[in-house]
Amino acid sequence: MRVWNRRQAALVFFALASAVLLAVALCGPLLAGRAAETDFSRKNLPPCLAYPFGTDWLGRDMLARTLAGLSLSIRLGGLTAGVSALAALTLGTAAALWRRADCAVSWLIDLVMGIPHILLVMLIALAWGRGFAGVTAGVALSHWPVLARVIRGEILQLRQAPYFLAAEKLGVSWGQMMRNHLLPHMLPQFFVGLVLLFPHAILHEASITFLGFGLPPEQPAIGMILSESMGYLAAGRWWLALFPGGALVLVVLLFAGVGERLRRLLDPASIHE
Amino acid sequence: MKKRSGRPWSRAFLALALGAGLLSGCGSAHPSGSGEAGGPEGDQVIIALNAAAEPAAGFDPCLGWGAGEHVHEPLLQSTLTVTNPDLTIGYDLATGCAASEDGMTWTVTIREGVRFTDGTPLAAADVAFTYNTAKQTSTAGDFTMLDHAQAVDDATVVFHMTRPFSIWPYTMAAVGIVPEHCYDSATYGQAPVGSGRYLLRQWDRGQQVILEANPDYYGEPPKIKRVVILFMEEDAAFLAVQAGQVDAADTSAVYAGQTPPGYTLLACASVDNRGINLPAVPAGIDSQGRTAGSDFLADVQVRRAINIGIDRQEMIGHVLNGYGSPAYSVCDGLPWYSEASQVAYNPAEAAALLDQAGWTIGAKGVREKDGVTAALHLLYPAGDSVRQALAAELANQLRRLGIDAAMEGVGWDTAYSRALSEPMIWGWGAHTPMELYNLYHTDKETGTAAYSPYANPAVDGYMDRALASGSAEESYTLWQKAQWDGVTGITQQGDIPWVWLVNVDHLYWVREGLQVAEQKLHPHGHGWSIVNNVDQWCWS
Repeated sequence: MRVWNRRQAALVFFALASAVLLAVALCGPLLAGRAAETDFSRKNLPPCLAYPFGTDWLGRDMLARTLAGLSLSIRLGGLTAGVSALAALTLGTAAALWRRADCAVSWLIDLVMGIPHILLVMLIALAWGRGFAGVTAGVALSHWPVLARVIRGEILQLRQAPYFLAAEKLGVSWGQMMRNHLLPHMLPQFFVGLVLLFPHAILHEASITFLGFGLPPEQPAIGMILSESMGYLAAGRWWLALFPGGALVLVVLLFAGVGERLRRLLDPASIHE
Repeated sequence: MKKRSGRPWSRAFLALALGAGLLSGCGSAHPSGSGEAGGPEGDQVIIALNAAAEPAAGFDPCLGWGAGEHVHEPLLQSTLTVTNPDLTIGYDLATGCAASEDGMTWTVTIREGVRFTDGTPLAAADVAFTYNTAKQTSTAGDFTMLDHAQAVDDATVVFHMTRPFSIWPYTMAAVGIVPEHCYDSATYGQAPVGSGRYLLRQWDRGQQVILEANPDYYGEPPKIKRVVILFMEEDAAFLAVQAGQVDAADTSAVYAGQTPPGYTLLACASVDNRGINLPAVPAGIDSQGRTAGSDFLADVQVRRAINIGIDRQEMIGHVLNGYGSPAYSVCDGLPWYSEASQVAYNPAEAAALLDQAGWTIGAKGVREKDGVTAALHLLYPAGDSVRQALAAELANQLRRLGIDAAMEGVGWDTAYSRALSEPMIWGWGAHTPMELYNLYHTDKETGTAAYSPYANPAVDGYMDRALASGSAEESYTLWQKAQWDGVTGITQQGDIPWVWLVNVDHLYWVREGLQVAEQKLHPHGHGWSIVNNVDQWCWS
């Protein structure tokens, strides 16, 4: 049997995990109708062959709801991570290249990081009128500072690198330096940071929806499913919380794994392992 | 209004608390401090009520204790009148009460020999003081019809009204009398002095209240000498029942299927109804500039079809696990209820009504008329799982009639304005005919009813006459005529601007051996109603 080296193993894991996540994300819209369908003739069923995740008190299929919820989470996570990462890229680069911008951006980063995370997400979501827009704004506007700091630090470090200084002395144009020296070193960091924002965004979306500050109740969001299940735990309906909660953890772990493998594949330091 | 506040934080804390409980082995925590629950030999009961039942402002009738939408007997104070088991009026402190010819004054004589728990006698001056104070400070009760109260002598109090109000005795049944000489609104709620069946021994905010029988009570001495009320969320109460720590506990249909050993399920009939408003005018902008009305529901045939086209029994089976009764009005079973409200489930006739009205089955099985589809957007208060389930069941049933129904959970901040143009699942049911007035009578300024656009001068006229009649008893027939007088009204043959779905039974776990006295129809709200007559309970 052929043994994969670490790079190949990472590649295989990356491909498989990405495929699973993509499949979950895509099946959401297809299952939306099934997830919302109520049928009281099949309410409160424990897990069985027809309904592997059981049904809830409205007779909704929990497997369909969980998948639809995860899909929503992933799509929302993608949107917020994208917005966050773009903001981080712009602000981080600006801070690294202009001293004045650096003061402002660093102050902003300190300000945002100084407020407890979940509180900030809740405040922004509330101010934005809750719902999909509120959650997106809340998560997107609170997750950029960490990545912005990484990018700022990375660029500052690159600018002091011997090859960068040498290129500067040789009179290489700005555009060329960006293309040849800055981007190849920074992009891996950026992409890994972007992927690692996903699990954060998903968990925070689920948290504030669970607490009642996020998505509306008719959306099959994981946070909403978990929050609803709380009222039925003491009545013995464990499947309402266990499977959706487990699935959420699995998705978050997959994303973290994908980010880690991506780093391994792209990072110059580990690229030849 | 109809909030059952969904406090998101409480769930997080509950989760932690449950976890902590598991870790500590749920051992020694006896909440009352005195150990075991009452048990058959004792004259004490421990009752778990919903955490929302704890009065935030304390046990002060002038701040709303006992009054309002979740009306119940104040226990610590006595009231002038009481509602009998059939919801007619009886006397407690009062020995007689009568309105003047023009209805502008009510004269009430009060019983002698009644003392507050601090030993001072209760006089008419205390009664007048209570009502004048409550008028200023109460946010739960409506005192707009009272101008002022005046003590004529020690045993007679006269209420001067701003308008005739024949059902004043129902207001009097919800106002506990406080002592003028020691009342301070800042402290009274925590340490009430009253003349009721019980006195407040201890109140640990957020946890429990301990009541003890008032030794100087003028009426029959309470059989239960000590009442401990624990405030718990539903799931915590269920766990407490399973652990045998309480004698009676609030519960719901979710838990009804799994009776813990040693307990029985007590289902109390209620007028705690759920229904939907059907905006009875075409869509547009009302006089206040708000979006109101619905082109589909403005058609009275459509509203009639919905009323007879829904299977209430099926709804009760599906949503309430059988613990409920069909609702046909906001006041089922009360003395002012009109039998004309009752309808039979008849899907064929409902379909015929819709066909006659021109709403014929179109593409995808949804009815249409002149290019308008028969579509409804059902609102329900977010976080209320029973109303969510009712909305889902109603939507399913409406689809069978060819009406396309979607549902949406809304917060109370937007619910009232949204309901002016879209049907919403409401909960009502109080021990006063004023509820009919509040829902169906037009407002002078807007010319339409408060919660859902509707106006019928004949219905208004009957209710105005009912309020102007000589006594509550005389007014009953006029309230009934307001519902249906043979020609017009708010029932199936009339305008049917609201469709009533179910009355939700109030469910309690009761320890075997505890005899809970006969209950009146419980009003809206799962609170103190069960303990209205705790003094008459006994252990067998």
